[in-house]
Amino acid sequence: MKLLILAMKNLTRNQLRSLLTIAGVAAGMFLYASVQTMQHSLSVATQSSADDTTLVVYRENRFCPSTSRLPEHYLSTIKRIPGVKEVIPIQIAVNNCGASLDVITFRGVPPETLKQYNPGITVIDGSFDDFLNRTDGALVGQHLAERRGLSPGDKFEVVGVNVTVAGIIISDSPQDENVAYVHLPFLQQASRIGLGIVTQFNVKVDSSDQLQTISDKIDETFKADQQPTNTRPEKAFFAETAKQMIELIGFTRWLGLGAVFAVLGLVANAVLLIVRGRVKETAILQTLGFSRLAIGVIVVIEGVLLGLIGGLVGVIGAMSFFKLKAFTLGNEGLTLALTPSSSVTISGLGVAMALGLLASLYPAWKATSRPLVESLNA
Amino acid sequence: MNPHISVKSVTKAFTKGKTTITPLENLSLDVPRGEFLSLMGPSGSGKTTLLNLIAGIDTPTSGQILIDGNDIARLTRAQLTRWRAKHVGYIFQLYHLVPILSAYENVELPLLLGKLGKSERKKKILSALDLVGLGDRADHRPSELSGGQEQRVAIARAIVHDPELLVADEPTGDLDRESADSILNLLDTLATKHGKTIVMVTHDPKASASAHRALQLEKGQFIEEGHLLTHA
Repeated sequence: MKLLILAMKNLTRNQLRSLLTIAGVAAGMFLYASVQTMQHSLSVATQSSADDTTLVVYRENRFCPSTSRLPEHYLSTIKRIPGVKEVIPIQIAVNNCGASLDVITFRGVPPETLKQYNPGITVIDGSFDDFLNRTDGALVGQHLAERRGLSPGDKFEVVGVNVTVAGIIISDSPQDENVAYVHLPFLQQASRIGLGIVTQFNVKVDSSDQLQTISDKIDETFKADQQPTNTRPEKAFFAETAKQMIELIGFTRWLGLGAVFAVLGLVANAVLLIVRGRVKETAILQTLGFSRLAIGVIVVIEGVLLGLIGGLVGVIGAMSFFKLKAFTLGNEGLTLALTPSSSVTISGLGVAMALGLLASLYPAWKATSRPLVESLNA
Repeated sequence: MNPHISVKSVTKAFTKGKTTITPLENLSLDVPRGEFLSLMGPSGSGKTTLLNLIAGIDTPTSGQILIDGNDIARLTRAQLTRWRAKHVGYIFQLYHLVPILSAYENVELPLLLGKLGKSERKKKILSALDLVGLGDRADHRPSELSGGQEQRVAIARAIVHDPELLVADEPTGDLDRESADSILNLLDTLATKHGKTIVMVTHDPKASASAHRALQLEKGQFIEEGHLLTHA
C-alpha cells in the first residue's frame, strides 16, 4: 500500500507525459474493446448451446431473403412432424441485402401467433393490442427504435413499406431487438411478394437432441416438392448465411491484436522513459535501504496504473459508444447487434492491466540492475 | 573499547576500458563511536570511494570493513541494502529530496521499509524535523524550501530511523556560508549529543575544521592526520 501511494505520486510528477500515455492506451483499448465486442456478439449469435431448440427452414440453395420463397401452406405439414412444438411462417423484407451497419429488417408474421411462438417478447412502450388491431402496425425492436429515433404512433417507410409504430419491444433474443415485426399478409402485399409466399419458417422443437432428426425430416418431406428446403439450427443458419460478415469480423481480430501490441509498446516506452529520468533518484532510494524488489514493484505499479487507467477510459468509452449508437451489422437480411457486454468490459480491463504489468517488467529490471555507485554518479 | 568503524587493509580497484584504477590501496582506519570525522583531499583521492565503502554502497576488492565488529564487505547486495536501511543515514551534497513529496513525506521514506504504524511514523518524523529546526515546514515541498532548509530535511531523512552511523558527502558544498555553518553545527550536535558516528567528505577546510578529526587523502592513502578537536 505504501509503495502504491508512492507510485501514484510518481505518476503525477510529469502530468503531461502521463496523460498522453493514458490517452494512447485509452485509444488502443477502445479499439481492442470494440473488436472484442464484435467478436463476442458474433460468438453469441453463432455458437450453439444445449438450450438451442430453434430450426430455420429456408429455400434450398438460396441465401438472400429476396430469393428464398416458400409456400405458406408448408406450415401445416411441418406442424405435423413429431417433436415440433411451434412453427411460425416469416416473410422478410430488408432495405439492404448486402453488408450494412444500418439494416432495417421487416419480419412479417401472423400477428396472433407471435406471442405464442415468442413469449420472450415484452412491449416496453406502446401496446401489443394496437399491433393486433392495426394492419399496418409494427412492433419495433428497441435497438432499431433507438437508432431511428422511433416511438409509438410514428410512421416510417423503408423499401416502399409504410408502417405505424404500435410498440417498442425488448426480447430474450438479440435478433428481435433489431427488427420490426409486422402483419404477414400486410408485408406480403406491401412488398409485392404476394399472399401465400414466405421467406422462411422458424420451428421450435421439444429438445435440442431432436434438432438434427427433425431438420432431416423436414427436408426429406419437401425434397420432391417444387420448392425444396434446407433446414438448419438457427445459429448454424446464421453462421452459414452471414459468412462474409463473419469473415470480416474475423479479420478484425488482427486489428485487436495490433491494438494490444501498440498499447504494450506505448506503456513500455513511457515506463522506460520514467525509469531513465529517475536513475539517480532510484539510486537514492536504494541508498536509503529500498530493496531492488521494492524499486521494481514501484516501477511495475506505475506501469500497471498507466495500463489500468487508460484501459478503464478506453473500455468504458467503447462500451458507452456501442450502447449509445446501438450499431447493428446486417448481411443477407440477418442482423447482428453489436452489444456491449460485461464480460468484454472485465476482460478488457484485465488485458489492460496485464499489458501494463508486462510492459513494465523490463524497465523495472533496468531500474534495479545498474550498480548503485554508477547510478549515484549518473 | 572497539572502534565503531574499523577499515582494515582495504583496496578498491576497478577497470575502466583497458585501464585498472585503484582509488584506495591497502588503507586502514579506525573511527570510535560518536566521532565526527572529516575526510579531505583533492578530486580522485579516493575519499568518496572510502565513504561509499563505509556506507555499504560499494564493496572493496580486498580487505575488511568492520562496523560494530561485523564485516560488511562480506555481505551480498541484498544484505547490504537491509543493513543500510537499519544502520546508516546518508546525506548528499545536492540533498536529493523527491520533488513531488513534502518535507514530511521525504523524511518518511526510510520508515516505509519498516513495520511501524502510521502514528508511530508520524511521531518519529515530527521529532526528526523538530531536531533539524523544520517542524513548521513539514507540509512544504522541496521547491518551497531554501537550499539550507532542503539539506536539513535531508538530514532529518538520514536520522529518522535512528541509525548509529551518518555519512555525508559534501553536505555543505552547495550552501552559502551561513547555511553551511548551521548544517555543520547540526552535524556536531548529532555526534556529541546523540552519539552518532559521522564520516563527512568535504573540500571545504572550514567545514573540515568543524569535525572532531580530519584526515587528508591523496592517491588512496592518508597523508596527514589533522586536528583533534574537543567540543563542549
